[in-house]
Amino acid sequence: MSITAFMQWLANTPMSVSIRESLWGYPIIETIHVLGLCLFLGFTVMLDLRLLGVAMKRTPASEVCGRLEPWMVGGFIVMLSSGVLLFYGDPAKFYGSIFMRVKFAMLALAGLNVLIFKTGTYRKVREWDMRDATPAGAKIAAALSLTLWIGIVAAGRAIAYFLPPD
Amino acid sequence: MMPLVQWFGHSAVAQAIHNSSWLFPFIEIFHLLALGLLGGTIILVDLRFFGLGMKSKPLPELARDVQPWLLTSLAVMLTSGFLLFISEAAKMYTNEALRFKMLFLALALIFMFTIRSRFTNAQPTPASPVSGWAVALISMALWTCVGLGGRAIGFV
Repeated sequence: MSITAFMQWLANTPMSVSIRESLWGYPIIETIHVLGLCLFLGFTVMLDLRLLGVAMKRTPASEVCGRLEPWMVGGFIVMLSSGVLLFYGDPAKFYGSIFMRVKFAMLALAGLNVLIFKTGTYRKVREWDMRDATPAGAKIAAALSLTLWIGIVAAGRAIAYFLPPD
Repeated sequence: MMPLVQWFGHSAVAQAIHNSSWLFPFIEIFHLLALGLLGGTIILVDLRFFGLGMKSKPLPELARDVQPWLLTSLAVMLTSGFLLFISEAAKMYTNEALRFKMLFLALALIFMFTIRSRFTNAQPTPASPVSGWAVALISMALWTCVGLGGRAIGFV
């Protein structure tokens, strides 16, 4: 089965139909998606600003990272599950959206960026925790993260405005 | 207030956004990004009232640290929100959800800059945390109403 055929099949499952056709389905899931955004994106930006050395400078970077992480994970789970439901409500259409694909690609890059940072610069965090200037590796990771998340929000907004025709 | 709204609605800026196919979503992106940061900084401080999140930092210090980011994102939200509003002024003026949102926005801002800021500036932190919990709950409830109202604008 091709991906397109799979998306068609998914679109015909009863739950997908009910999300699509219910009056409240989309508004409620979208609201949860946006509330999750406050928690996840807000904390991500604050952490990135700390890694850039411009916010919460008096607190060790590892401390900011450690304290915010569980909330960011929670916020991300909310965003991901509500996002999956939004996609599942009209999979054939969203799969065909170029901005959806751009968003997926940038999400993957953002994940990769975290992975590289955590296994690289962050392993030596004790050495630069309280230093005035954060190391270049941390700054690059933070700048990449901010850029990607701006792009992800922009692509996400664009999905709704440039949907492929039925 | 109608004449003033009409005047803004007929301004060149409002007309440019109204007649453009991409300016409205473009401004919405700024509105959403600022929402993330504004919501994040508010939640961070509200969580601290419960001893959650950045718990090793004293509340006044945390509130002071996030204040510039809170104010910046608030400024971006108000500016982008105002631009979105005037581009659809005639339609938006009578939108019930927008009125609901503006009412709760006013309440949330008044609460934040009066009662909540008195609590976040309190040194030393009061012995009983209960009043702080109430402040955090009211703060989050008011902002949630602003968000719900905002989300509803496009659906009513």
